Amino acid sequence: MRSLPFALFTRLVPVALVVLGIQRTVCATYRVDGVAIQVVLALAAGAGAGAGSERGAFAGFALGMMYDLGVGTPLGLTALAYGLAGLTSGYVLSITPDPQWWLAAIFVSIGSAVGEVAIPVVKFLTGQEGWLTNRLILVIPIVAGAATLLSPLFVPLGRWCAGAKRRTWRAIPE
Amino acid sequence: MFSSLSRRRVVVLLILTSLLLITLDRRANNVVIDKARQAFSVVIRPFDIAANAVSKPIANAWYGITHYDDVKTENQALHDQIEHQKGAEIEAKTAINIANDLLKLNRLTSARNIKGVAARVIGDAPSNFQNTIEVTVGSRDGVAVGMPVTDGAGLIGKVTKVNPDSSFVMLITDPQYAVQAQVFSRVDQADASSTTSSTTPNTAPSGRQLGTTTSTSTTTTTTTPVTTTTTISALGATAGGTTTSSTSTTSTTLPSFRVRRETGDVTGQGAGRPLLFSLIDDTALTNVKIGDVVETAGGTKSLAPQSIPIGTITAVTSRLGSRSPIVEVEPNASLTQLNFVSVVLFVPNQAAI
Repeated sequence: MRSLPFALFTRLVPVALVVLGIQRTVCATYRVDGVAIQVVLALAAGAGAGAGSERGAFAGFALGMMYDLGVGTPLGLTALAYGLAGLTSGYVLSITPDPQWWLAAIFVSIGSAVGEVAIPVVKFLTGQEGWLTNRLILVIPIVAGAATLLSPLFVPLGRWCAGAKRRTWRAIPE
Repeated sequence: MFSSLSRRRVVVLLILTSLLLITLDRRANNVVIDKARQAFSVVIRPFDIAANAVSKPIANAWYGITHYDDVKTENQALHDQIEHQKGAEIEAKTAINIANDLLKLNRLTSARNIKGVAARVIGDAPSNFQNTIEVTVGSRDGVAVGMPVTDGAGLIGKVTKVNPDSSFVMLITDPQYAVQAQVFSRVDQADASSTTSSTTPNTAPSGRQLGTTTSTSTTTTTTTPVTTTTTISALGATAGGTTTSSTSTTSTTLPSFRVRRETGDVTGQGAGRPLLFSLIDDTALTNVKIGDVVETAGGTKSLAPQSIPIGTITAVTSRLGSRSPIVEVEPNASLTQLNFVSVVLFVPNQAAI
């Protein structure tokens, strides 16, 4: 297992630049019912589901920082939200060390929903009102649904980016 | 090192770090964060270009296949619209010329006198909780934070972050956006007489006032009896030593009406929702009507110079407990289909930003 800072610099940053490029161009332009799919958030949640809560939280935080720098949102806002997304989705490894793909997908979905909700909540807490509206009812399912669909790709990718290895069952010799 | 932290410590560390960064970023003129953003914008640019280069042809091909009929219909509709607008454009140009002559006569400036820099829109907001666009001009082009941005139809927002070669523009629909605005509403003489407090015959016009001037605490009322006389003289062709000439005179007298100037703040309510126009004096009787044009009010504390069109009033509904109505404004600019914009090189007061 790689150390987290090493993995963040050598693996996560290059992958994040590519995913952020897709987010800023493709996802920003081609929306689903007016909602932008959040691939960076899906990667943060995937890192959590693949590498565990702690590594997922730090990977999410790093991804969020890059998002804030690239998109112009207040620095730290998206970092906090995506860190929480990685932390939440990482709870799947508390249930089982080697989760099935569908179980990981469910937790990626929950993690991305938490991350997306956290943004307007943090904005509200920092004095930027006007985002906690009924529109969340439309935004959250679409973002979480897209993250679920992307989870078969982003869970292993996130695990690799966070420098973790897939846990496997090993028989204890008698 | 980080993996050895417990979950609770990770959460606390994340929250504290994030709050510290948010606080630092919200403080104006944070050089370190601004430099980091500028450096990152340079790093991310090739990835944006690559993603666009790969995705655009595929998306265009798909759109062409699935929306071919729609595109043809839209094209036809746009042709019709252009034909209709040709006539309106001539009228508008005449009105602008008259307005500019009046402004020049009274030594006033208008937004048309302030230079702008053209820019291409290169990105929409990637977040669902942000109404911004990214444009291709930055500090190297003279763009600064707070400058208003327009397109051909009207105001679209203000510059919020500036990089050397690009800038982020907060759209007017963002809940954080507010700009001082004014509306000139025509009032029937009967209505006006019931709402005005005093009437003074005017012999020396001043500012925008012509004819009879009426004023209350928040409104300026103008009566405009306009008579236009056009004389066209033409020398005909000389044929056989005889020169023919003709003179045609047209006189037009527009009906006199009162114009009230109401001021207030226009604020955004989120994407896809109309703007909200709040009158400064909410106890005043108002004559704003559906269809009235709202424009920037200008002033030393405003984000934009005077007379940039914002939108048209689409709803005026009464509010419980107040005589002032809720006024909704539909932006003139089509904020979802922006391609080219102009950053007005007007530096607003720092307090307004």
